[in-house]
Amino acid sequence: MQDRVAKLSEDDLFLPDFCDMGTVFTVVVVGALLAFILVLSPVVSTTHWWRDLALNSLFIQWVALSSAGLLCSGRRWLSTLGNARAGIAAYGLILLVSLLCSEAAYWLVARPVMDVEHFIAQAGNSDLVPRSVPMGTMWHLEFLAKNLSITAIVAAVALRYFYVQYQWRSQVQSEAKARIQALQSRIRPHFLFNSMNTIASLTRTSPELAEQVTEDLADLFRASLGDASVPVTLEREIEVCRQYLRIEEQRLGARVSTEFEVDDLPADAVLPGLTLQPLAENAIYHGIEPAEHGGFVAISGGSDDRGIVVRITNSLPDTDARSARQSNKMAQENVEQRLRAFFGVNASLQVFGDATEYTVELRFPYLKDAS
Amino acid sequence: MKIIIVDDEPLARSRLLAMITELDAGEVVGEADNGGDALRLVEQVAPDIVLLDIRMPGMDGIEVARHLAATLRPPAVIFTTAYDSHALAAIESNAVDYLLKPIRKPRLQAALERATTLTRAQLAGLEAVAQESSTGRPRTRTHISATLHGNLQLLPLGEIRFFRAEHKYVTARYPEGQLIIEDTLSALETEFEERFVRVHRNALVAKAHVRGIERDTQGHQCVRLDGVDDRVEVSRRLAPVIRRLLKSSGGGGD
Repeated sequence: MQDRVAKLSEDDLFLPDFCDMGTVFTVVVVGALLAFILVLSPVVSTTHWWRDLALNSLFIQWVALSSAGLLCSGRRWLSTLGNARAGIAAYGLILLVSLLCSEAAYWLVARPVMDVEHFIAQAGNSDLVPRSVPMGTMWHLEFLAKNLSITAIVAAVALRYFYVQYQWRSQVQSEAKARIQALQSRIRPHFLFNSMNTIASLTRTSPELAEQVTEDLADLFRASLGDASVPVTLEREIEVCRQYLRIEEQRLGARVSTEFEVDDLPADAVLPGLTLQPLAENAIYHGIEPAEHGGFVAISGGSDDRGIVVRITNSLPDTDARSARQSNKMAQENVEQRLRAFFGVNASLQVFGDATEYTVELRFPYLKDAS
Repeated sequence: MKIIIVDDEPLARSRLLAMITELDAGEVVGEADNGGDALRLVEQVAPDIVLLDIRMPGMDGIEVARHLAATLRPPAVIFTTAYDSHALAAIESNAVDYLLKPIRKPRLQAALERATTLTRAQLAGLEAVAQESSTGRPRTRTHISATLHGNLQLLPLGEIRFFRAEHKYVTARYPEGQLIIEDTLSALETEFEERFVRVHRNALVAKAHVRGIERDTQGHQCVRLDGVDDRVEVSRRLAPVIRRLLKSSGGGGD
């Protein structure tokens, strides 16, 4: 799955990946179905039903699998052509394969079989007119024309289907991307304006702190406006969390205390950008802001042979205050989706806690920054 | 002019304080960082104007304004907020004055000059906002207030064991005593339906405090609640509701 996602983004070709086992299997199944249709369709039923089915299947699989093989190995070349020309090229390729297979079938199978039948007919009853008609050039040409026509129609339908599916898929992808970007750039407006207010206030009393908050805010926005698809290092992401929490510490004063136990985390591990900060923001929003007496936010983590674990824990306000802010799990779900899109099934987001604490635990494999 | 500043963020308070001092618009006689303290402070210093942050932990600004209106000499209220699209729309539509943070000095000056107490209509409008919050869930008061001998009494909702309608008024019973309040029983039932349940034509009891059902000397079914000795009569029709409640909470039976 992950490979396929990577390949889809690698080239923008409308054809599915014919090197993929799943796609090859589909090709085989569709080929077999086509063979059935061809055998079942004649109005006058043939006496050699099984033989016809076997021969049809054999021929169709030749054409289909050879075409798939060529499209697989020629994918890189096709993807340089652009979708329209790649479509024409693929169509031509399939017709060519069909032509070659038809020729091969004629000379290797049909001809010898008919020769043998002719021989038997002659030997058994020399009075009978030999079935010489199918052996003629006319029959050969008709055989080629029929095969090419069927291939032309089936290939056109298949390519059309692939194109429509490609359009649908790219639309879904672009919608998902837009949604992720929208979610990502959504630093809570309340936070922005409160931070501005903090800066305005600090400017009078302690200009140096005001400077620091402005810098932190700028970095935070740079991170949130950055490209969603570029991964960041764990060190950088934790730094973004620190900056965010520093701003909140200024704003909320003594009501919030923060703890970082992140020395055991590998600094060079990569993860999608802004995966930890939204969770820290959630911790403040649900754990600290509604609590009259404040609380704490702790970020801790480590790594073992299974990968990396990061935990974000916050204290909870007493139950009376909690009901006022119903959590919408959007930020959490968004983080989980992005982790899974990046790491596949090896990443997880788990939530646990009791009446006083809430912990979100992220697990993901240790991948080093390639660059 | 006596002013108090209510905001949960210390830097927001200090900025307002500095600006008011510079404007020489009045004297800041107190600051509070939560709604409950704000109401106590108003009792003590009887300010003319309250600068009130909308978003605060516990009791929010809107609820503080509602309780303030019940006081003997309600002060003028100016709301402050950084961003609250939902509450702001309602405040604006009721022509209540508000200031957006970071607050500009001329705006603050203008607001202080024309500050007036909330009218009945404005208050009613705010109450309507209080009913719905941005999360779509009804927003309920965290405290019940009443004036006793001219003093504002605040009762945290969690303390209340039951509301009972007696003669012409409604009382709220809590372990240390009871308070006569102005709300009607049906309004309370709607507002606090998550926490209180009707057991009789004249009573609502706190679900969390129900301990059992028993019969009194006259054979009436009554609810027993923790922390208070009074029993609340249960109508026969509503008794199954209490039984179900007891069963689901795992509390003691009859």
